[in-house]
Amino acid sequence: MPLWFARGLRRGVVTTRYPAQRDPSAADLPTPPAFCAEKLTREVADQLCQACPCGALSRAGDALTFDAGACTACGRCAQAVPGAVTRSGEFELAATRREHLIKQIPLVGESER
Amino acid sequence: MTAVRTEEAPGLRDLLADLARLGSAPASRASSVVSLTVPVGGLEQVVHRLIAEPGARLADMFASAEPQRSGWPERNSEPVRLRMVWALDAHRAYLITESLVDSASYPELSDIAPAAFIEECEIYEQFGIRPAGGKPLNRLVLPPHAGRDFPRLGRAPLEEPGEVHALHLVGGQAFEYPFGPVRQVGVESLYYGLVTSGEEVVDLYLFTWHKHRGVELRLQGCCLADALFYVERMEGLGAVANGWAFAAAAEAVLGIAPTEEALRARAVALELERLYNHAAATAALCQACGLSVGQAQAEIALERLHRVNAAAFGHRYLFGVIDIGGVRQAPDVAALRAALPAAYGELRRATDALLATNSLVDRLEATGILTAEAARRLGLVGPVARSTGLSLDARADHPVAPYDRHPPAVATGEAGDVLARFRVMLAEAGESVALIGDLLDAGTGTGTVRAAIPGSAGRPLPGRAAIGQPRPAGRGQGGEPGNLRHGLGWAESSRGETLAWLALDHDGLITRARLRPASARNWRGFDDAARSQNVFTDIPIIEASFWLTVAGIAR
Repeated sequence: MPLWFARGLRRGVVTTRYPAQRDPSAADLPTPPAFCAEKLTREVADQLCQACPCGALSRAGDALTFDAGACTACGRCAQAVPGAVTRSGEFELAATRREHLIKQIPLVGESER
Repeated sequence: MTAVRTEEAPGLRDLLADLARLGSAPASRASSVVSLTVPVGGLEQVVHRLIAEPGARLADMFASAEPQRSGWPERNSEPVRLRMVWALDAHRAYLITESLVDSASYPELSDIAPAAFIEECEIYEQFGIRPAGGKPLNRLVLPPHAGRDFPRLGRAPLEEPGEVHALHLVGGQAFEYPFGPVRQVGVESLYYGLVTSGEEVVDLYLFTWHKHRGVELRLQGCCLADALFYVERMEGLGAVANGWAFAAAAEAVLGIAPTEEALRARAVALELERLYNHAAATAALCQACGLSVGQAQAEIALERLHRVNAAAFGHRYLFGVIDIGGVRQAPDVAALRAALPAAYGELRRATDALLATNSLVDRLEATGILTAEAARRLGLVGPVARSTGLSLDARADHPVAPYDRHPPAVATGEAGDVLARFRVMLAEAGESVALIGDLLDAGTGTGTVRAAIPGSAGRPLPGRAAIGQPRPAGRGQGGEPGNLRHGLGWAESSRGETLAWLALDHDGLITRARLRPASARNWRGFDDAARSQNVFTDIPIIEASFWLTVAGIAR
């Protein structure tokens, strides 16, 4: 047992310094999407809603509703329409009210047929 | 099917010929999977024959509601099709027997093959059919408050399953100690009924239904892409293995062969999953033994391995790697080569020190002993089985690419105790690191073939059914009601062989998905291991050495 005590002291403290310092490993984490508003036609919005397995995306009229609280950052929306979705890099998503996690993104209108 | 084609060995031909004489008829043959139709009246003799076959074991048993006129299974209708999946390890093949059960009972199979008992219980709760003879069946899947209208895969049973456990024969007083289902922070819901005379474990039985989520029911009516999302998350610690087995089953049905580079990428992810699971088991063992510094050091290694996963594949638990037809992303080779050696070195230093600590080894040795006979009788898999001396590993016994060209060294033990299981896991961890290096050297890539996958770009679905609901009558008939396509997939998870079986309709939607993670096999060995002259403080140690998940059985 004394050897384990010595091993513990030798290994030292490895606790992350977050939030005082940003942890570099956070750059590898999956994060919710960011939408390129200029690419969001109704057609694109419907494709994104179809791709989402969690119900985080829905369309009502000319607005895309994104619920970050329902999003699992699976990346399927980005895979479905690569040009319209990018990785946001945001993982500090805590909010004091549920509705603060829901965004309405206006659409640019129907695409030409 | 991403399986290696093998010539039919003489032994397998003889077996199939014997089964044909017993009344079975070939249903299909796909690479290393053979399907036979067996009249239900002949099922007992077929099981007798298969039990006697060297190197054969019952890997799974499940049922599905038979499609009716609409071409879709109706959950409350008869009859039911019973399937048994046999692993013919000596022949590198799987054999699936299919029997139509058009009454309320079928032959008593667990009397011949004890490995079938848990599945008999499950089938009774989900489909209302039971083995003949009136043997008591335990509640396994659905909670006690599940009434007749509770969502299930088939028809509700006429009588509720009971709770039947072995008589407690002990001199003096024995008492039953209820433990759980809420046990401690971060641990899954699981109820132990612990019977003890004070210290010694007289009996231990488990109730696993608290985490039931109805995943197999949820998958009915799903397209493959949506279903894969759920399958990965069914058992988070086995996302890659379960996803691979599911994807392989889908590929078998659709006739898709992923590229070699994509399969090597899958294998890299699978070995990373094995590595972090074994690190987590090490930490859990230390915690169970009260060795806090050892636990902390193993958890440091675990955290580093999670970060390796994120650097390589973008997710700490490797979600989103497997795709139908390949992988969604190839690993970041440079990041993996840079980070993995140090992370594994951290684990190796910790485990070398643990094995040199006599007071810890004392707790592990001769604790939780499982015999090879028990492991074989119960159909156990993975490190739990290998530690008893059974050399069972789906990567070696049923090789699929890339394991045909990169065969792993299969680690086994003899004692079947906690120490043997721990040593097997550590040997496998080292082997995984070596395999990852080999696979990266051979080259990885994506190469996912999407065009043939229903629901993907270029092949839209005609319209989805509501989740878990049968398709409306008149859709998906394809001119041949009941003509569904089936496929079997498998992978060797960190806990052992995991299986997935799929039936798709002509639109590519799932009519039945059977998911059989390794935990669904191995929990039945836990009470045997706990009873073998242990005290109840050994139970957390034994549980850590099994390193199973409740999610894997309560799906």
